[in-house]
Parts: sequence; C-alpha cells; structure tokens
Amino acid sequence: MAITAGPITVGQTLPTLVKEIGQRKIDAYSGVRPRSIHTDESWARQKGFRAPLAQGMMSTAYVSEMMTQLLGAGFVTGGTMSMTFIKPVYAGDRLTVHGVVTEVRTENGARRVVVEVWCENQHGEKTAVGTASGRGVLTSPE
Amino acid sequence: MTEFRKLTFDALTVGEEFVSDDHLITPEDVETYAFAVDDHHPWFFGASPFGGPVAHPTLLGNQALHLRHSKYIVHAGLHAKMRFDFLQPIRVGMRVRSRGRVIDKYRRRGKPYMVTEFVTEDEHGTPLIRGQFTQMIIEG
Repeated sequence: MAITAGPITVGQTLPTLVKEIGQRKIDAYSGVRPRSIHTDESWARQKGFRAPLAQGMMSTAYVSEMMTQLLGAGFVTGGTMSMTFIKPVYAGDRLTVHGVVTEVRTENGARRVVVEVWCENQHGEKTAVGTASGRGVLTSPE
Repeated sequence: MTEFRKLTFDALTVGEEFVSDDHLITPEDVETYAFAVDDHHPWFFGASPFGGPVAHPTLLGNQALHLRHSKYIVHAGLHAKMRFDFLQPIRVGMRVRSRGRVIDKYRRRGKPYMVTEFVTEDEHGTPLIRGQFTQMIIEG
C-alpha cells in the first residue's frame, strides 16, 4: 500500500489550511434541529453564547485533512489524533490550521511522524490544540 | 422500549454503556461531510490506495459523540477533548455501529464533565476507529 514518502523533518512547518466557518457548513455537519447550540441561534443565545457554535469535531476534520495531505494512507490507517478544544468557534469565524513536525520515530519497523497541531481564529486566538501522528516513509535523515 | 432521561451529572453512572444504531455509509454522507468541512480529497469520490472510495477518517466522530443520546435527553453540551485511533478505512457501503462506555465523570471549576471511550466497528465486528472523548454536561 502506498504511503506518502518524502522528506519530513523535525521542525518542519506544514502548509496552513484556512477554513471559513459558515452557518450552512455547521448545519451540514451537525444536522439542523431545534434546541441545538450549533444550529438554533436563539437556543445558543439562551445558553449564553453570542452565536451558534461550530462543533469542536469540525476542527478534528481539518487536522485530519492536514495530516492526510502530509502522510496519505499512512494517516487514514494508523493515524492518531488527540485534541483539546479550548475556545468556542462561532458561525462566521475563520480558522487557520497549523502543524509543526515534532518527532519522527521508528515504531514496529516503520516510521511514525508526530505533529503538534492547533487552530487559530481570525483574532489569533487558539481554539483547539493537540497532536496528531501517522505512519510515514522518510527519505531524509532522522 | 428505551426510556429517555434528562442528562445530569447525578443521573450518569460510570461504567454505563451505550450502543448506536447501525448506519449505512452512503455516497451522500461522504459528499455532505466533504461540503461541511470543505475537504474534497479525490479518495472520497474515486480510486484510493484502499481499492475504492473511502470516507474522511473523522466522518463517524458524531456517531460516537452522540452515543449518550441513545439513553438521555441532551439539550446542550460542550466537547472538551477528543482522541482518535484510525485503524481501518471507512468505506462507502459499510454498515457501522459505535459502542461506548462512560469511564469517568468529574467536576472541574464547578463544571460537570463525562469521559467516554468508544469503538466504531463494521458489520463484521472489525474495529475501524477507537477513541475517547470528554464532554461538559450543560444541565437545565
């Protein structure tokens, strides 16, 4: 099975992803229903939020996209992700997804690439932080 | 017949288990998800290294996250933490089911939280995803 090869080095900064978090996308992700903080604006306000919130899970999808771009099949099978959601993401926000390679290690005869990942909103505030990893084939020195 | 109760910190029991309904992965699921997260990778719609279309690895996160809805009325909650281990690709045409177990509940800064571990399997019982998530319970 093909796994993305190529030079991956510790300290490498991955290309960022930018995501516009529109209400329609939140609706498609979460499913529209009443009394939902994601899709019912009045209910979200009633619960103390200034606008409907995007699910934290949407940020895991963005990280998954970044990792699949980096490692291909080596993330789809054998990938891991651990995220903490530290700030709400609201409808209308713009998120930028970042990643930096922090470790490359040998594991069961293969290479595991570990990436520190985080999402920032348009104000430069981190909304989610964590790590993701996957299997990779390296051509550069560890 | 399931009797649904309102989710509260006190109602929840560590060790209690949840099971989702079966869900057939359709091309529409994959297309909708691709729109929602603005990720249209060609593997989702055609050939892939896995011999055909596969879904986004996080497609079934909500099936796991909604496990508590199989027993409780949940009016609101906040997702605090998520961990995934992606074991096998999710393929269009699979029937999948998630099972979960509450492994902890605690209060931090006065807020109630619950921790659930889960596995999502195909119709043959093959694990596709394992993971764990922490949710804040919003009561009232």
